[in-house]
Amino acid sequence: MIEKKQQIFNKLGLHARAAAKLSHLANMFSADIYLIYNEDKVNAKSLLGILTLAASVGNEIMLQAAGADEQEAIRAIGDLFDRKFDEEI
Amino acid sequence: MVRIKGKAVSPGIAMGRALLHSYTREEVAAVPISPKAVEREIWRLENAVKKSRAQLKKIHRGLQKIMGKDAAFIIETQHMLLTDSHLLDEIKGAISGKLVKAEWAIQTVERKYQELFRTIPDLAFKAKGNDVSDVLDRLIANLRRSPARLSPAVSGAAAAPGGQFILVADDISPSEAATLMSNKRLLGLVLNKGGETSHTAILARTLGIPAILDTGNATALIASGDTVALDSVSGEVIVQPTPDAALEIGRKIEQFGQYKEQLKILSQLPELTRDRHQFHLYANIELPFESEVVQSYGAKGIGLFRTEFLYLDSKMSISEEEQHLIYKKIAQNIYPHPLVIRTYDLGRDKSDPGRPRQEDNPSLGLMAVRLFLKDREPFKVQIKAILRANTSGNIRILFPMVTEIEEVRAIREIMAEAKKELQRAGAYPRKDVKVGIMLEIPAAVRLIRHLGDNVDFFSVGSNDLIQYLLAVDRNNTDVAHLFSPFHPAFVHILKEIRSEVARAGKEVTVCGEMAGQRLPALMLLGLGFTNFSMNALAIAEIKRVFTRIDFVRLRRIVSHLERFGSRTEIEGFLRTELEKAYPGLLQSPSS
Repeated sequence: MIEKKQQIFNKLGLHARAAAKLSHLANMFSADIYLIYNEDKVNAKSLLGILTLAASVGNEIMLQAAGADEQEAIRAIGDLFDRKFDEEI
Repeated sequence: MVRIKGKAVSPGIAMGRALLHSYTREEVAAVPISPKAVEREIWRLENAVKKSRAQLKKIHRGLQKIMGKDAAFIIETQHMLLTDSHLLDEIKGAISGKLVKAEWAIQTVERKYQELFRTIPDLAFKAKGNDVSDVLDRLIANLRRSPARLSPAVSGAAAAPGGQFILVADDISPSEAATLMSNKRLLGLVLNKGGETSHTAILARTLGIPAILDTGNATALIASGDTVALDSVSGEVIVQPTPDAALEIGRKIEQFGQYKEQLKILSQLPELTRDRHQFHLYANIELPFESEVVQSYGAKGIGLFRTEFLYLDSKMSISEEEQHLIYKKIAQNIYPHPLVIRTYDLGRDKSDPGRPRQEDNPSLGLMAVRLFLKDREPFKVQIKAILRANTSGNIRILFPMVTEIEEVRAIREIMAEAKKELQRAGAYPRKDVKVGIMLEIPAAVRLIRHLGDNVDFFSVGSNDLIQYLLAVDRNNTDVAHLFSPFHPAFVHILKEIRSEVARAGKEVTVCGEMAGQRLPALMLLGLGFTNFSMNALAIAEIKRVFTRIDFVRLRRIVSHLERFGSRTEIEGFLRTELEKAYPGLLQSPSS
């Protein structure tokens, strides 16, 4: 299992569209992937779960992945965050 | 007879039978199933999902037909939820894990998420809870093949005996609102909840259905079959009117009908006073789709597009690309008339994610342009999107809450950077956007001469200008009576604006609420203002009044205002003199 701290850079935070992109990406990996924020831990493959985090810009969350492709998963998801979910060009 | 006060969010008068929609949740029982039946339940669930997706698509198409392509935002989240495989897996897991029917499994999942969303403080996220319930209820309804459960308000409406009705409900879901509004038998709408900016209110306005929301307890005071009248002029719902009151309302309805006919004719008239003095009437808009209807109300352009909505609503994504497409479409809808886009006016509202932290005095704090000069990136994204969208050349850009030259210089710098970046990418349309600033803080008014060297036009935000001049918050009921466009100090500042802007050789538009109110608007016209931007619904009425007067005569009346040192005197004098010169001019055609 690996973990990575990740900051939210996009202005709108993990709202509906960003959550859809994130869960879509997470579903491409076989590893179990979780987002941990405050006390809450949600499955990154669940759009609804991500929404319930209500995480906003500037917040720091923990990415956690366990499985064969955990490295790739964390890299790809971290990259999506860093690209601000392609919302701000 | 009972009168209920509420918020009139859509104009009109209607009377008819009430149809009460009291939403009692149909009980879903925990029916146990055998392990062998799991597969069948999952098959039922998948069918219901397919059906629900098709229904949402249909609602979407119906909405598009009446509201244009941007209607998608109302049900976008629901559609996304239905494609969330994890949510579906969770329901399936409940079916096979607990060995229950799909209905119960869905309800278990729904309750879990309701509880989660309930505790979220951020309103934009919290509101998504409604979408989750709405879409999961739809799934259950489709499982039961029960149209009644599918949308109680909608099917109740379809089954209502004979003719048209006024729907009375606690609240309705976004998808219910969308479906109901396209029902030709819906005469009017009364809700306990809801607000001016709710999806329901926006839909009602666009479709011209009278609606009074936020009544608090209408469902407790109205029974199905009661005769109910909605009067959006007074913001009242009248339950079981006396014969006299009913006659009176009937008369109002007739007048309002005639008035609406008149408005259609009025919207075609040239924008000239009787003595051929030219004026221009524009619309204020908040949502992209409004740009498709404002011209039918007589608007000759959009004088103010408030963009905050794009940023705030449901925390929707606002990439440069998306923004640019929205701006471009609005500009095309309104072409060849102008479109004035105001950059985000964020920071003062408590629910505003742009508000960086608790401030003791947010109206004097980090807001609007100040916010963006501190955190330039999102600002630049918006500016680039606006510059890029100006392919037809009718876009202007407007900056809120400017108080000093330094701010204008900083804005100019960012605009130049944005332009350079776009040019490098080959995306600059070669048409420069005219730059304007809002006059809403008294300091800016005193600086018009200097600011004028740096900008192309001005726009008066009268609500804020009055607030900052008189130190009155009009939302504070203890002091709201002090908020008046007739305060002599404010009338004086209007005169100063008029003459200073003329001296600077620039244009000015008034875009606050007073531009759309008869008496204040007439005063502005008499003071020499010619550009007015207002709620689209007010345009025809302002045009009716303006086309009936002689500018020279009005100017003479207004020139006497200097004599008065009190707001009541100014308002009284204007009213009396205008009534004398033009009997009936100030009477509402619907009262």
